[in-house]
Amino acid sequence: MTSPLAAYEGIVGPAVLRQLRQLGEKLSGTRVVHVNSTREGGGVAEILEWMTPIMRELGLDASWEVIDGNHRFFETTKSMHNSLQGANVAIPVKGWKTYEDVNARNFKRLRPILEGADIVFIHDPQPAPLLRLCTRRKGKWIWRAHIDISRPFRPVWKSLRPTMEGYDASIFSMAEFAQPLPHPQFLVPPSIDPLSEKNRDLAPAEIDAVRTEYGLDPSRPLLVQISRFDRFKDPVGVIDAYRMVRKVSPVQLVLAGGGATDDPEGKAVLDDVLEAAGNDPDVHVLLLPPGAHRTINALQRLATIILQKSTKEGFGLTVTEGMWKGKPIIGGDVGGIRLQVLNHQTGFLVNTPEGAAHRIRYLLHHRDDMERMGTTGREFVREHFLLTRHIREYLTLMLVTLRDTKANMIEV
Amino acid sequence: MTPFEVKDCALLARMSGLPPAFNLRELRERVAACSENVLFHHYCETTLRATFDNPDYRNDFAVWSKLYLGDRVLAERLGILDPYSFPSLGELRAATLEVIDVRLGELTMIPWARPGDEFFFMEATTVIFSAGIRIAHSSDLADAIRKMTNGSVYFHFLEARRRPPFGKDDFTSWLLENEDGGRNRLYIEALASIDFYFHSLADLRKELATLLSGLEEAK
Repeated sequence: MTSPLAAYEGIVGPAVLRQLRQLGEKLSGTRVVHVNSTREGGGVAEILEWMTPIMRELGLDASWEVIDGNHRFFETTKSMHNSLQGANVAIPVKGWKTYEDVNARNFKRLRPILEGADIVFIHDPQPAPLLRLCTRRKGKWIWRAHIDISRPFRPVWKSLRPTMEGYDASIFSMAEFAQPLPHPQFLVPPSIDPLSEKNRDLAPAEIDAVRTEYGLDPSRPLLVQISRFDRFKDPVGVIDAYRMVRKVSPVQLVLAGGGATDDPEGKAVLDDVLEAAGNDPDVHVLLLPPGAHRTINALQRLATIILQKSTKEGFGLTVTEGMWKGKPIIGGDVGGIRLQVLNHQTGFLVNTPEGAAHRIRYLLHHRDDMERMGTTGREFVREHFLLTRHIREYLTLMLVTLRDTKANMIEV
Repeated sequence: MTPFEVKDCALLARMSGLPPAFNLRELRERVAACSENVLFHHYCETTLRATFDNPDYRNDFAVWSKLYLGDRVLAERLGILDPYSFPSLGELRAATLEVIDVRLGELTMIPWARPGDEFFFMEATTVIFSAGIRIAHSSDLADAIRKMTNGSVYFHFLEARRRPPFGKDDFTSWLLENEDGGRNRLYIEALASIDFYFHSLADLRKELATLLSGLEEAK
């Protein structure tokens, strides 16, 4: 459930809401349709869940449509997703046919709304063929890539590229994630919702309850990494770093995440992590259910230092979440973590477990620095990574796309 | 005095369409060919962008040279270039190319970046908002600046120098337009005395407000 826009005023200040309202006035009545492939679960659905009502509150005629698909369709699009992110996964002819057929079936249902829209946002590749099918479209169509397609498996990208080239514009989270396309490519990083269950302030009693539930010692420093059990998040490397620190300081470690039960690779990684943790009572490996947002929130607030020691990363919203909670971050020197963490300012970038251990020890000896970094990080997130900035950029790019995409300056 | 209408602004970044640079020679080629909007983005708009302010250098070319080419000499030479001190972006481009050419002449190998660390050329659209605030008198300027957003400080004090009258911030232009028997002279001189390029926007706001309030107190 999204909070009304006014609820954010105390967090971001009146100027930010004024910007949104001015943009909303200019776009009042604009028919906007978002299309993706799932109503629940995953970052895209989370974004659309808050973005659509806020667009409506600002005066736009915004709606969110979801394409239906069968098992084979989602199997194909999962392979597509992996191959666009670099895995060598070919898609069989049958898979491509299913992809086209499912989109054609959905187009029949969505045709009136798509043909009448002023702006259509197509999220990720699943519904991308709708553009070709909608020959009587009158609005601008924008492809929003939520994933890193900078080094795709070429055969799959070669098949998809002609479709993506037909769009009027595309959006990527970072320049590093983009592919050259013959239209404007906007850069809009993701964001967090400060009033969501995962990020809102919690009562001290609720935080204490989580501490007690997981048997964490309030008198000793706590290291926390929240992430899926995925090799690219390097959870075993985090345990290695913890062990190096443990020799000189009585720290505790929490590795918490979900997504292992229905993912064979995740299960294997979790097994490796449990083996690495051994019987150490100060290493807490927590497999959390999908809706455990408040638990994650509390664990991040309990942390002395937050780690995100990834070796490959998308934007790294867990870093943003940690910074919002006023914590110093030790993050892998990859992806969007680089945009958020700067050595000695909001935390440290590291490349190895040794580097992480060194920085943990440094921070434990410099408590004042930790506090300063936490404050700096929180203000940095307030300025750049809250949903109000995210929606402002969407509204601006709608205005730019409907007017003149090459303008250097527009006044609202 | 004519009231000063406070504006606010934000950026919408986009890819420039130029291929990324993997090494110093490619950087030189792209800097020579890029539009002035791209150059302005990497020198001036960095301060408003959603990346953490690098405390060492204020332009993207210097930061990239240090972090990804590992060339601290080049980073220092590029880092000291103050884009607002050049009469035009064309001259800023020429100065940038000169620094790179000198460095290329000194090196026996072209420094290069690892895949994933390449330099991406971007540009941005500036969207301007009304802040809904009017400043009636020069004596109110310090207080108004103290309450301004980063976007307002950027728009009126930095971005303004790119608009006619070129090279002047909006506060100075307003004070000059409303010059009344030299009463604004002290404010104008104070604004001109700030070495602003190396400040973050928050620091710049603080310095502007402190300097102007000091003048008020001295009255």
